[in-house]
Amino acid sequence: MTDEKKINIVLAGQGNAGKSTVFNYLTGLHQHIGNWAGKTIEKREGTLFYNDYTIDVLDLPGIYSLTTYSVEEVISREYIIQTQPDFVINIIDSTNLERNLIFTLQLLELECPIILALNMIDLANKKGITIDHKKLQNLLHAPVIPTVASRGSGLTDIIDKVIDLRREKKICRTPEYGKEIENSIAQLSELLRDIDLPYPERWVAIKILEKDKDITGQVNIKRPEVLETAKLLSEKLEEIHGHDSSIVISDERSHLASRITRESVRITPDRQISLNDRLAAITTHKFLGYLVMILILGGMFLTVFSFGNWFSGRLDTVFRNWHAGWNNIVGTSFPASLGWSAIESVLALVQIAFPYILPFYIILYILEDWGYIARISFLMDNLMHKMGIHGKGCISFIIGFGCNVPGCLSCRIMESKRERFITAVLVTLVPCSAVSVIVFGLVGKYVGLLWALGLYVFALTFVFIVGKISSRLLLGEPVELIMPMPDYQTPRLKTILFQTWDALKEFIFIAAPLVVISGVVIQAINLAGWMPAVSSVLSPVTVSWLGLPSITGILLIFGILRKELILVMLAAYLGTTNFSDVLTPPQMITLAVVSMFYIPCVATISVLWKEYGWKKAMVICILEIVFAILLAGFVKRILDFVF
Amino acid sequence: MSLTDIKDGQTGIIVSVMGGKVLTKRLADLGLTPGTEIKMVGRMLFSGPLQIEVCGSRLVVGRGLASKITVELK
Repeated sequence: MTDEKKINIVLAGQGNAGKSTVFNYLTGLHQHIGNWAGKTIEKREGTLFYNDYTIDVLDLPGIYSLTTYSVEEVISREYIIQTQPDFVINIIDSTNLERNLIFTLQLLELECPIILALNMIDLANKKGITIDHKKLQNLLHAPVIPTVASRGSGLTDIIDKVIDLRREKKICRTPEYGKEIENSIAQLSELLRDIDLPYPERWVAIKILEKDKDITGQVNIKRPEVLETAKLLSEKLEEIHGHDSSIVISDERSHLASRITRESVRITPDRQISLNDRLAAITTHKFLGYLVMILILGGMFLTVFSFGNWFSGRLDTVFRNWHAGWNNIVGTSFPASLGWSAIESVLALVQIAFPYILPFYIILYILEDWGYIARISFLMDNLMHKMGIHGKGCISFIIGFGCNVPGCLSCRIMESKRERFITAVLVTLVPCSAVSVIVFGLVGKYVGLLWALGLYVFALTFVFIVGKISSRLLLGEPVELIMPMPDYQTPRLKTILFQTWDALKEFIFIAAPLVVISGVVIQAINLAGWMPAVSSVLSPVTVSWLGLPSITGILLIFGILRKELILVMLAAYLGTTNFSDVLTPPQMITLAVVSMFYIPCVATISVLWKEYGWKKAMVICILEIVFAILLAGFVKRILDFVF
Repeated sequence: MSLTDIKDGQTGIIVSVMGGKVLTKRLADLGLTPGTEIKMVGRMLFSGPLQIEVCGSRLVVGRGLASKITVELK
């Protein structure tokens, strides 16, 4: 293929503007999701075949600016400069034009050719916001196209525009700021002429006026004398405006954004309070908000677990028949048993993935797309701060209830390293679907539902205490919550399915291989007849300290693979599913407590390892083993008084 | 007065932001710069976060952060 027919575009924009929707629409199944070199930040690339053009699309992380505040912002900035894409498609949330334009101005400063997608224009119109996109186009000197990405409308217009304009010489007009700033920029650009840096001179001038660390460092190597002038000029600006020069320039950007908005937007005052407004008011109300949250989350868990129990019971019957069939046909020899344990590992994963995790994430992402999850962050921020993290951490916790693997991965939404780590540690203590199977299957069924719910309260209290302790131990300034509150909108099926698949995929690709391999290894040890030795080694802990049957030593080892195996194997070893015959209520509760906390499962450990290094992963595991055993021992002693 | 002192439903104008460069810049990128109008929508109990309206859209701001934003009533 000739280069003529090859185009590359980049999608950039703030979070919540619908960037992923555009990306998914354009690239469909031709996506490749990897990581940015050396970073744990997702890199999403895809290809669009349109007429006979091949268009490479890259989805930059959702960011608010192009300063060096976060890793995502640095990545985005460097990527745009280094690859010089044919076009940057700036996806804009039309209901928040002014805020989004601040970012657009920064893109224009980079002197890259951009096309604006005025996304969610339908929602804006509904809110009484009319945007004159022709006017906006003239003010920004860049093409502006209204789109509704959720319906795919306007997206082909963008691609047509890209193809149309690619031959033209791209002249990108940089935004023009106030006089004294422009003078300083002009003066510095003159001094920077022909400097050997990969950036536009005007942009470098702005950055050194803003005292951007990274760029200042680079100029210092090439032309240190320019920095002297830059210092004088920023001091002059600071004298006039009374703020730091970087703030002066930010102010300038936001004033320009606000002027452009004023000139191109007409707002029809819509005094009618819509249903969504009322909903927004109730769901963030001081008291009612919490009530609604408890109802929604409670309803969600109840639905998932009643559906899950029914469905997994059905699957169980089917798989039992398969096992019998396998034994009849293949036999029960050593290799045959190993083969079956590999298959069984996969089947057991299916038994957790489809009945519990899949519906859990579908409901979760319906809530997310609707706009409710941001409300939970808002409601929980206060409590989360007591654990040294802010409200957004709550989202990772909720995801962790489904499965700890995507839960730990989702900690990437936290801004600082410290908070990411604290959140991840706490997520590993959140009872996931597999643990819930044990809690409900053992305690809920044989001791009482209230006891099972009590265990949940106990688990969350434990999470809170650990959070409190770790926020004290890990020094650092807690980051404050600041995030846009999205409006409620009708959830979109496509987005929900994509996100659910993303979460489920993490579970399948990270958990499944590990589980199968370790399942076979443990089964081999079992068949070799070493298990009794293992359980007798562990018996001081399991029997003497925890008061459990010695068999639990083996169960807890299998449980590292997947927590629900503790219950499955207990039934297998005892030859009965009526656990009340073999365990007393205090034993059941003790076993449930151990299972909840004693170690993250193999898949979660591997995620911790990948994200935080093996040292931290090991420390978490060892601490959790010690804590869980101590805790469960005390619980047992207290329970002995109760029962 | 600080942003936390405005009552629900009242509107104020940002006078200044006390805080590090990073914080101030972050706020500026979200449109919170001196001269901007802020409407208080609501707040959570026990020094929880605030919900504000800026440039026609809503933002959630932690209480500690909000206390660093000085405003005057419109």
